[in-house]
Amino acid sequence: MMAALAFRAPRRHRRPNLTPMIDVVFLLLVFFMLASRFGAEQGLGLALPGALADAPYQGPPRLIEVTPQGPRLNGVPVSLDALPDALAPLMADPGDTIVLRASDGADMQALVAVVAALRAGGLTAVVLVD
Amino acid sequence: MINVVFLLLIFFLIAARLTPPEAFAVTPPRAPGTEAVGDFTLLMAPDGALAFGALRGRTAALTALSAARDVVCRNRDCDAQPPSLTLRADAAAPAKALAALLPDLSAMGFARIDLATVPQ
Repeated sequence: MMAALAFRAPRRHRRPNLTPMIDVVFLLLVFFMLASRFGAEQGLGLALPGALADAPYQGPPRLIEVTPQGPRLNGVPVSLDALPDALAPLMADPGDTIVLRASDGADMQALVAVVAALRAGGLTAVVLVD
Repeated sequence: MINVVFLLLIFFLIAARLTPPEAFAVTPPRAPGTEAVGDFTLLMAPDGALAFGALRGRTAALTALSAARDVVCRNRDCDAQPPSLTLRADAAAPAKALAALLPDLSAMGFARIDLATVPQ
């Protein structure tokens, strides 16, 4: 009688099974490794034509035509490296607006190369027109 | 090993920036750029086609972008803090397509855009 009422002997303490949790953690790890994109986005700033209304165009023409053969400043072919120097006599202030126009066949890489070359020369007020 | 895996998991959770999948693959032009994180991202395919999020086509993309800008501007003062737009254009896209796009973006109220680039 007494033996039937007695509690069962306590079970031996077992370690919980960690395998399912590790599976889930691995799954999450792989998901984040695949879904994430690292490094900050890089970009070149470009003013829109509407921004010209605040600061009207002043001074001699500074039109750079982007062609597949290279940039042309006011119709004269100029190399990328020489662009800031060629523009210097046309500008009263480094903040003066420079107008860019893309010709047929010029791709985005050619345009960005010109914008980057101007930026390297400290000229950031670039407007692209149609 | 579990400790290391947890460490990696937490690292990726903190360091990762989740980005929605793009409507088409874009290879931005190579140029030295400055850091740019835009509120919106507009995609331009090598043939000049536009996409905003999953929406393809010029009209659909620009309409959705305009609507998204209105939603953002309802919650904050867009005159004091104008929303920024990143244009992820393919390096082979015609520059004329970008020039034709800018007046529309200007009419939408954007003052400037950032052309996404990859470092050389």
